[in-house]
Amino acid sequence: MPLDRGTPVLELRGISKLFPGVRALDDVSFTIHAGEVHMLLGENGAGKSSLIKVLYGAYAADAGEILHHGRKVTIASPADARRLGVAVIFQEFSLVPFLDIAQNIFLGREFASRVPGHIDHRGMHLEAAKLLDLLGMEQDTRTKVHRLGVAQQQLVEIAKALSQHASVLVMDEPTAALSEHETDRLFKVIRRLKQEGVAIVYISHRLAEVFELGDRITVLRDGRKVGSLLPSETTPDELVHLMVGRAVDTSYAREFCALPGELALETIDLGSDHGISGVNIEVRTGEIVGLAGLVGAGRTEVARAIFGADKVTHGEVRIFGQPIGGGPDVSTRRGVALIPENRKQEGVALIRSVQDNLLLASLARLFPRGWFDPAVGRRVSVQKIDELRIATPSPLRLVRYLSGGNQQKVVVGKWLNAGGKLFIFDEPTRGIDVGAKAEIFNLIGELVGRGAAVLMISSELLEIVHVCDRAYVMRGGRVAGHLRRADLTEAGILRLAMHHE
Amino acid sequence: MSETSALALRPGRLRAALAATPGVAYILLLMVVVFGATSKYFLSGANLLNVGMQSAILLMIALPMTLIIMSEGLDISLGAVLTLCSVVLALMLVRGSGLPVALAAAVAVGLAFGLANGLLVSVVNMPPFVATLGTFGMAQGLALAVTDGQSVVGIGETVQTIYAGGVFGVPIPIAFALGSYAFSHWLLYHTRFGSYVFAIGGNREALVLAGVRANLYHIGIYVFGGCMAGLAALLLTARMNSGHPTAAIGIEFDAIVAVAIGGTSFERGDGWLFGTVLGTFAVGVMRNGLNLLGVPSSLQVVSIGLLVIIALFVDGLKQRT
Repeated sequence: MPLDRGTPVLELRGISKLFPGVRALDDVSFTIHAGEVHMLLGENGAGKSSLIKVLYGAYAADAGEILHHGRKVTIASPADARRLGVAVIFQEFSLVPFLDIAQNIFLGREFASRVPGHIDHRGMHLEAAKLLDLLGMEQDTRTKVHRLGVAQQQLVEIAKALSQHASVLVMDEPTAALSEHETDRLFKVIRRLKQEGVAIVYISHRLAEVFELGDRITVLRDGRKVGSLLPSETTPDELVHLMVGRAVDTSYAREFCALPGELALETIDLGSDHGISGVNIEVRTGEIVGLAGLVGAGRTEVARAIFGADKVTHGEVRIFGQPIGGGPDVSTRRGVALIPENRKQEGVALIRSVQDNLLLASLARLFPRGWFDPAVGRRVSVQKIDELRIATPSPLRLVRYLSGGNQQKVVVGKWLNAGGKLFIFDEPTRGIDVGAKAEIFNLIGELVGRGAAVLMISSELLEIVHVCDRAYVMRGGRVAGHLRRADLTEAGILRLAMHHE
Repeated sequence: MSETSALALRPGRLRAALAATPGVAYILLLMVVVFGATSKYFLSGANLLNVGMQSAILLMIALPMTLIIMSEGLDISLGAVLTLCSVVLALMLVRGSGLPVALAAAVAVGLAFGLANGLLVSVVNMPPFVATLGTFGMAQGLALAVTDGQSVVGIGETVQTIYAGGVFGVPIPIAFALGSYAFSHWLLYHTRFGSYVFAIGGNREALVLAGVRANLYHIGIYVFGGCMAGLAALLLTARMNSGHPTAAIGIEFDAIVAVAIGGTSFERGDGWLFGTVLGTFAVGVMRNGLNLLGVPSSLQVVSIGLLVIIALFVDGLKQRT
């Protein structure tokens, strides 16, 4: 029996939002109570972001009303939302690269000193240091944000929202970039905020979090509310069923590789100028090999050293038995494909078409004479679109209009066209919803089925456990251990990664 | 062994310190050495003071230009606006206005152009190059129109004495430059406005989401440029002892050069104000040294272009190591 929880802090009634051709929100009602964590679930495009934008005054709703402590209000701008005590932790970082941590946390709310316009830097740094301490972050608050890694930037973003002492705190996938350890800390902070009476709206793609943190769950699908439930009265399967409208196995399963092929990648005592050393890794064709570890353990750095993007200072990298040196261009020619974590910045050209992206890395091979042949370009790209089942109305569609999962496929298609044989995926499912995740794994499975070799970096332990044939676990820039299929468990990885032998 | 000598002797530290020193500092040093060796007069106190005096006006344009470029903008109208302000100042003085009124008029003209630039860039959302190309033409045309293309002479003794005079032994142009730098430094590093300059260039969306009226501050950046041009007009007019309708055309080019070699980024919202000071000196020293060596002014422009390329090349080299 749900208790009487009093008047909600914020109540959205019958909110609709239309875009040309799309009904982003359709009569959605949503209540937010003090001291509750309200989980908001839904696939990408289900309307979660639109709902938050309405809540934050970035979108004006076409229909419906918002009540604040039972009184009708209009939220027409972020400033309005802020006045009502609504703070949002954005998934796309809203940080200024060349301002320091403290300046970013208090952007728009700088501490005034007695001189008009003058900022009280000392006060800001003191306050910021307290917030970082709360989140277990040890950085100097004078560090410029562009020097921080993704996880640390996410923590700054969280500190920024916390600093607003909001009564409603909206978190859009706050743990997407965090390691397990950082996630634990964040959860502690959330529980404390809850006790202090803060209302929290929490968007997540991780079902485990929903049950660990949530007091109430709302599921959106295609802009409509399809479920409002209590965690004690539902199951992960039911939630997934509601989200996608059909039953999907959340734990992706594949046939593991019994007989690996030839040695595709071998690193011998590899060290780079980015803090890794003594790394020995082997990947054979037909295998998916995981590279696990906490954020900052050096996984991405291993990938970059193999690819030739960072300078190798020690040891060597062999691709199909041949030592390689030189830069990414050499690696690419030998069939190494790196699919980076930061897809939007490094993997695809968002403002170019699907076709342009698919052909980008293979122009020299496809058009040896130097000029572009539209017929060939079209044929090759259409073939890849069919093969990888990229959901796009046309090869000429701009990539930025595709979903995250389909953008990922475009990146893979690009490297397949370029003759990739060793694929290195860095966090391939970051920011991708449940349904598309299985598709990404199918894609990776298909790659190894065709005789490619895959090295996959992931922070999600379950992904490594379910998808990989075996895995290396990194800690502090070195390989802490190797787990065969039979020993590959979440606990086993964590023990190695965190040194709890 | 004392701690200081330990620091000095450790090669790693030295290398780190060398790498942290921006390219413009090396270039400045190199130029001083070369010009000092080739011209006896170059290193004399009188000449160095001269360089400082000549650089003062440029610095007053280069400082706001730094903020404008940091906001991913550009203002190519500043030279023409400075010229127009100078002409207005001279005309007012000739017609008998007092210096405060004439200066206020000059600053008001600068402010108006800054406001126009800011509105076009932030509200109308025009590319800064195009917007300021338009106002450049307008300012230049107006300067020619109000003067009939002639110099405005007879501005009186007061203004002349300003250029030659000093406060507490510091020549007034130098005092202006120092004051402008101090103010700009305070503005960029110690005020909200300054933080928002970084934000507009680095992530404008973040600023809007923080509930800040970004347009207002964006306009403010260009207004700052216009006002500085108005103030600098006083020095320009005093130095020329007249208002000339083409007096400062092209100074915006030197200012952009000073900002660029001073290490300010054109696309990331990163800037370094003191680097602009060094960059301004580099341009000033280059022009002065080449003058002393008798290099014609057309070739000076070539060498300033070369200066940009070398400075950015040195910075690029350092980033790679």
